[in-house]
Amino acid sequence: MKKHFREWSVAAALGFILVALAVFAPPFYHPQPLLSLVTYEAPTLIVAVGMATIIICRQIDISVGSLFAVCGVCGALLLDRGWPCLAVLPVSMLLGALMGAINGGLVAGLGLPSIVVTLATMVTWAEALRWLRQGVLVNVGHAQWFGFTQGEGQLTIVITALVILLINAVGLRHLAAGRFIYAVGTNAEAARLAGLRPRLITFLMFVRLGTLTGLAAFLAAVQAPTLQPKPDNGLELKAIAAVVVGGVAISGGRGNLWGVFCGVLLLTVVSPISPALVYLGIPSYWGKAIQGAIILLAVVADGWRARKQKF
Amino acid sequence: MKRNLMLLLAAGLALVACSKSDSNAPSGGGDKKPVIAMLPKNKANAYFISCSKGAQDAATALGVDLRFDGPTKTDPSMQTQIVEGWINQGVDAIAVAAEDKASLSTALKKAQSKGIKVLSYDADVLPDARTFFVNQATPEGIANTLVDEAARIMDGKGEFAIITASLVAANQNVWIAKIKERLAKYPNLKLVTDPLPSNDDKDQAQQQAATIMNAHPDLKLIMAICTPGVPGAAEAVKQAGKVGKVHVIGLGLPNENKDYVHAGVTDSVVLWDTGKLGFLTVQVANALVKGTLKAGDKEFKVGDTTYKIDGDNILLGEPTIFNKANIDKYDF
Amino acid sequence: MSSPTSSPPGWKAALRSHEFILLAVLMAEWVSFYFAGTHHTSHGTFGFGTADAQADILRHTVEIGLLALVMTPIILTGGIDLSVGSVMCFSEIVFGKLWRDAHMPIPIAATGALLTGAAAGGLNALLITWLRLPPLIVTLGTYSIFRGLAEAVTRGADVFAEFPASFTFLGEKSWLGVPVQVYVFVVVAIAVWLLVHRTTWGRSFRAIGYAPEGTRFAGIPVERRLALAYVLAGTVAALAGLIYASRLNQVTAADGTGYELAAITAVVLGGTSIFGGSGTVHGTLLGWVAVAVLSEGLAYANLPRELGGMLTGVLLILALSASILPKVLSNWRARRHTGTSTSQPPPPAST
Repeated sequence: MKKHFREWSVAAALGFILVALAVFAPPFYHPQPLLSLVTYEAPTLIVAVGMATIIICRQIDISVGSLFAVCGVCGALLLDRGWPCLAVLPVSMLLGALMGAINGGLVAGLGLPSIVVTLATMVTWAEALRWLRQGVLVNVGHAQWFGFTQGEGQLTIVITALVILLINAVGLRHLAAGRFIYAVGTNAEAARLAGLRPRLITFLMFVRLGTLTGLAAFLAAVQAPTLQPKPDNGLELKAIAAVVVGGVAISGGRGNLWGVFCGVLLLTVVSPISPALVYLGIPSYWGKAIQGAIILLAVVADGWRARKQKF
Repeated sequence: MKRNLMLLLAAGLALVACSKSDSNAPSGGGDKKPVIAMLPKNKANAYFISCSKGAQDAATALGVDLRFDGPTKTDPSMQTQIVEGWINQGVDAIAVAAEDKASLSTALKKAQSKGIKVLSYDADVLPDARTFFVNQATPEGIANTLVDEAARIMDGKGEFAIITASLVAANQNVWIAKIKERLAKYPNLKLVTDPLPSNDDKDQAQQQAATIMNAHPDLKLIMAICTPGVPGAAEAVKQAGKVGKVHVIGLGLPNENKDYVHAGVTDSVVLWDTGKLGFLTVQVANALVKGTLKAGDKEFKVGDTTYKIDGDNILLGEPTIFNKANIDKYDF
Repeated sequence: MSSPTSSPPGWKAALRSHEFILLAVLMAEWVSFYFAGTHHTSHGTFGFGTADAQADILRHTVEIGLLALVMTPIILTGGIDLSVGSVMCFSEIVFGKLWRDAHMPIPIAATGALLTGAAAGGLNALLITWLRLPPLIVTLGTYSIFRGLAEAVTRGADVFAEFPASFTFLGEKSWLGVPVQVYVFVVVAIAVWLLVHRTTWGRSFRAIGYAPEGTRFAGIPVERRLALAYVLAGTVAALAGLIYASRLNQVTAADGTGYELAAITAVVLGGTSIFGGSGTVHGTLLGWVAVAVLSEGLAYANLPRELGGMLTGVLLILALSASILPKVLSNWRARRHTGTSTSQPPPPAST
């Protein structure tokens, strides 16, 4: 319990809020709106799963928002041309992988700092998308909810996200590759001397994040009959915040995906678009401030604990 | 190294110095094609994209150069920057749809002082910052059409909500004020909360609509007064399974709403011919540059159509209601 | 903390050439836009090559320039400040509220804004020095909370506008052909340059970035120096906010969005290492001007402005690659000679 104190505390905070909602705002638990909210945020969870290992490796990727927008629009354009969903999904993931590989190549291959590399790629992809699409909506009509009914489609998306989470959480914990990631994040030089290849691992983590983002973008694109190209969607901030709140240390080497899951849920429940705010009678313009407070609290809690551990 | 730096910087300054110009006179008149610059609220908004199509048609027909540029999201400071750039480029006329009146008006007055003709369209600025305002319809016309349509659908009683663009958008706020005035005619029609912002984002409009339906289970109608808001609200109603229970109307483009109208999710959309709005704007700009239109004129003729000028407002006409019966006839 | 392994003189030479190259890029940009974006008519010259256009280009990005200036010492220490855009906005809101709702005179309201900025910087400093938290994550948190507070205080809707002429002159008027805010900028630029390049405090910034523990053992009060850097950043962010408010004659909760990234771009483009330990203020200024000219010059040349963003991204990568090129080349040459891999692990995002 002590080892995962951070993750348990996030889970506890989440639990507390959920209980408070059950008591003070039971309408929050109406199935349909809740399912819609969870479906809407499922792509964020998938991206956060990818972001978590990047941060564990002591890197960062602030280009995921633009990556997401580009993959989403490309996938939507293919769907508009009549391509079936099963064909578009791998294309979106491949495109994400390629864009992630560019990030990874620059960071791992050339040794450039990830924050600046992903800043550069973020701006480049975002502006390229704006230039080429100018905000024109893309029609995906027939592919909405993969062609299933709304309920089936929503469940498919949510279950896909949960399965991705499960696979990655188990893999990170039990596979050797997972341990390698923690090793690289704790001390890359030591990992290299121990026979690992930190640059390859780092590169693969960026490709993995890109692939997952491509998947998430596709799952988001099928949620409505038209897609609006939105390069500035704030996804990178959401993902990083969820990962940090979930207990992954920005100094690398620690954290697990269950904490990230709780982090995503926590920030979703108090987001400005959440019905929770409405039912608790809090005006929506407090949403961002509440999220910011939670992030800051998580950060301070981490620092406080680390400080105490030093003495 | 610092010496080299200084040398090169000095060279740069010299270059600038020798290009100091007298940019106090407009560049129009006989030298080359007149340049008309057109500023949307948001370049990525389908409404303004369709305006620009009509504007381009007019520009081609008149033989003028059209520069259409704007921020790619709601950004009043970028609007001001773009206008100031145009002033320095010596364009002949500037037509703006203002996100926010005050800051843009200062820049526009500077343009006027340099002889550039200034007009506004869709969303007005301060009256002394422009010669004419090409208004798609009077605010009363827009508000009354919307409220009457809402009352008709709701049988004159019930709760409804408004989704707007951004909370500071000047023209939306004028329409909201007129809507509230018109509501006096329907005492049983209740506006259930303050207008909800969508910031011209279809997804945000969808989230707002979903939230407001959750908060007010008896809500009967959502009125979206910005074009991305209508399909967003309609999708929310559809996903909440409340088609028929919650009605959707708004200011929307026919193309974006055809499917929802036919599916019965959206009852009707109200708009005007956006292409014509863009077309008329460029025509007015051109006429101002050529001098065939001056402040104080009472009407403006384009081909066979005569447009009324009400003070300094040039009216496009009356808003049109698009519903199942006629929406397929339009393509914009 | 990773550090360049080549000897100091070689390091200095590389830095020298980086700025020279950047200056060359800037000149190339400038000349291209001059010819592509200026046209001469019988009524006079219009376009990029006019004094008005140059003045406007500077005016439009003075706020980002100020943020880039104070971001430089922070990045020199190996830190970062993502909150400057949000602090700028929040200080503006405080200014607006004090002036409009509390009916305070402009100078008092402005002082209130500057104190707010300083306090915000102080909060960052406190969390970074006392709790020893990574600056990246602390300023990510303050970035969120100050933006959130700005939205909450204005309820997302409120706009403060129509400030008196005694205030807006700062953003709108010119003295002797130079916009007023540029004078303010020059004063701040000189001050920051002197701080970083001519004082022991400034030297300590680079030392902290190069080797934080070593600096502490050398007797330098690291916490106090860091605190200065972050408080300075907050205060100047507030100043930038005041200039922004006077230029646009309005204050909204969305102001300054993305400005922190623009500031970081300018600093990195200017040759400052994101890991700290090396960099110059004049490099930052060059980087700032290069981006400003690029983004506005395209519009004068009747080219799409999105191209500016894309080219900035590419330029950033090129600038980064150029700075590590000597190291990569020497590694590659060494590997070819000895046949062993001396490849380093990829650099971490934060220490």
